[in-house]
Amino acid sequence: MSVQTPRVHRAARRRQAVYWLYLLPGVIALTAVIIVPFGLNVFYSLHRWKGGLSPMHWYGFGNYTDLLHDAAFWSSFRNSVWMIVAMVIVPTLIGLILAAVLFDYIGKNVGNRTASFLRATYYLPQIMPVAVAGIVWNWIFNAETGSLNAMLHSIGVAHPPNWLGSPSTALPAVMLVLVWIQIGYPTVIFMSALQRVDPELYEAAELDGAGWFRRFRAITIPQIKPETFVITLTCTIAALKVFAPIYVLTRGGPELSTLVPSYYSFLNFFDKSKVGYGAAVATVLTLVIVVVAAVIQLLQNRSARRDEEGVR
Amino acid sequence: MIRSTRLKVVAATALAALSLAACSSGGSSSSSSSAAAGGTANPTTLTFWHYEGDDSAMTQGWNAAIKEFEAANPGVTVKVEKQTFEQLQKNAKIVLAGNDVPDVMEYNKGNATAGQLASQGLLTDLSADATKYGWDSKLSSSVQTTAKYDENGLMGSGKWYGVPSYGEYVTVFYNKDMFDKYGISVPTSFADFEKALATFKQNGVTPLAEAGAEYPLGQLWYELVLNKADRSFVDNFELFKGNVDFTSGPLLDGTNTLADWVSKGYISKDSSGLKAEDMGTAFIAGKYPIMVSGSWWFGRLNKEVTSFKLGQFTFPGNKLNPGSSGNLLVIPKNSKNAALAAKFIDATLGKTSQDTMAKLGGLPVAGDSSVITDPNTKTLQDNFDSVVKSDGLAFYPDWPVAGFYDQLVSFGQTVVNGSKAPADALKDLGTFYDSGRKDLTGK
Repeated sequence: MSVQTPRVHRAARRRQAVYWLYLLPGVIALTAVIIVPFGLNVFYSLHRWKGGLSPMHWYGFGNYTDLLHDAAFWSSFRNSVWMIVAMVIVPTLIGLILAAVLFDYIGKNVGNRTASFLRATYYLPQIMPVAVAGIVWNWIFNAETGSLNAMLHSIGVAHPPNWLGSPSTALPAVMLVLVWIQIGYPTVIFMSALQRVDPELYEAAELDGAGWFRRFRAITIPQIKPETFVITLTCTIAALKVFAPIYVLTRGGPELSTLVPSYYSFLNFFDKSKVGYGAAVATVLTLVIVVVAAVIQLLQNRSARRDEEGVR
Repeated sequence: MIRSTRLKVVAATALAALSLAACSSGGSSSSSSSAAAGGTANPTTLTFWHYEGDDSAMTQGWNAAIKEFEAANPGVTVKVEKQTFEQLQKNAKIVLAGNDVPDVMEYNKGNATAGQLASQGLLTDLSADATKYGWDSKLSSSVQTTAKYDENGLMGSGKWYGVPSYGEYVTVFYNKDMFDKYGISVPTSFADFEKALATFKQNGVTPLAEAGAEYPLGQLWYELVLNKADRSFVDNFELFKGNVDFTSGPLLDGTNTLADWVSKGYISKDSSGLKAEDMGTAFIAGKYPIMVSGSWWFGRLNKEVTSFKLGQFTFPGNKLNPGSSGNLLVIPKNSKNAALAAKFIDATLGKTSQDTMAKLGGLPVAGDSSVITDPNTKTLQDNFDSVVKSDGLAFYPDWPVAGFYDQLVSFGQTVVNGSKAPADALKDLGTFYDSGRKDLTGK
């Protein structure tokens, strides 16, 4: 900067200030929507507090040490792992296959319109309000009058499972609904990713005699890696903080078998009026999400770097 | 230089953010702000929040009270703003801490609900009004229990924080046609009741409509507990007047009976995953002959049951039944028209309002059953009056401690699923009860 003339210096400064101005709305929104509430949440989590105008009692890290001994809290995080299976792993795999089939087979042999129509159908559960879908699934799973058990009865199953009422089947049933909700998202992203892949790569491979599966493994999967990371990241975060489907389907029951951290936090915060404790659960959940997101981001960066090096 | 500019911008940003945050916390109750603004500009507008359905007896009764009140107080308008139960249940403690509050609000009664708001300092003390308007003599003692809360938010003693205008109780609804079909007469004792259940089962009919994923199963359990209990048990369990034993006595007996009924097939094992709505629709469809549930079902059953004749009896052999005053009308601490609001609450206990409710099956607390013309409605009111007269309202099982509802649902599911021995499941419930009680009373 010292080499610049004072005039240029001032102009650059003015430009710098103007840039900062552009950031202002974002910073304000971030502060109001994220930083302040998060700070308050941490503040609450250090207290015993019933909420409202009642007095707050300083409790230090007491809520956090209580959490360590709380079986319900641990089981809620165990269920989070299952939520990741149901919202990330299974839908991503199915989405990948569906996208490939729609793009490579239906799109090319039947027609693009059919492929688009099917893609929209798979995406429908994403658009549908969870509350509505929850009512329908509740009815499907209803052990006595539900359509699933009616179907099982008609094919001769005398004692079909008590889907949402038994602790051994409730979690798989909820997971099934989540898979159903999630599939559309990776399918749509993967289909647009496939359109981005250079067709010349396929043509070259085809000339070299590579079959569909070889091409899929050697070209498709590496080419759409960035999208895969995005899906994994966003869906993992969604899985860790999943709330609405649990709320409409089981409310964490039966016998806590489908309890998840966000619902447990809500339960303490509102129903039990243990505001400090609920806030502590929320804080821990936030930290877990930040760590998991950072790890995925790190892996993605590393993989991108490796790809660049490979290209060079 | 660049650095100092940046600092200034950051400082300005922080200030702007602070002011924005201040705005956002003040405006959290957007729906109420217009009403409150109206309230300040014109002090004779009384804002009334409630969450009863438009056709319900409560709404009709309250509307009658509003008409009467407005006629008696020229220049005063009562403005009703509809809320939902969930909305108020979850948000009341946040909304009422602000300044944009209603003058009169319906709120759920009990330690974990109205009691909590009272202990959080969000409600107006109505003790003086209770004497002034004579509510303390007009309402029976088990109805008054839910109107009074002490400094810890425990009901039954202390100051008046709310006034109920109606009551509710858990009763037995039955399908007269199915009873006739198997030649079963209305049971009058507990033994008769079990015999009736057995007869249905022998004929391949599961007798009881139930729902284990929500409140109904817990209420049936409580009926079975109350069958072996007396008023002092209720005082101990609900009002913390003495020790409660979760390893023997009424609680264990009731739990064992429930498990026994499940094993005998009086209650379907499938019920553990069902919701109250599932139970109701199955009963209305004539799938089950008996539904043990609250009077809040009455209006719907009386209207929607068309394929069979609907009957009612109080739970056989029980002097005590789950039930209580209905939801309370409370006056938020930050209301600007508290005196007028109390006057309005008194109007809801007036003859016009109470008789309107009675005619519609709303179980008014100070009503007159002679004005009722519909026979089913009359049975409902007469049964309620007889329960109240014998001081038989034993409140609800999920009331004593905060968060007990979820525990109770889980407990009931455990018993129905048989995942644990009844005594062990009860012991777990007791552990939660004890810790919750300790939080509330310090003991």
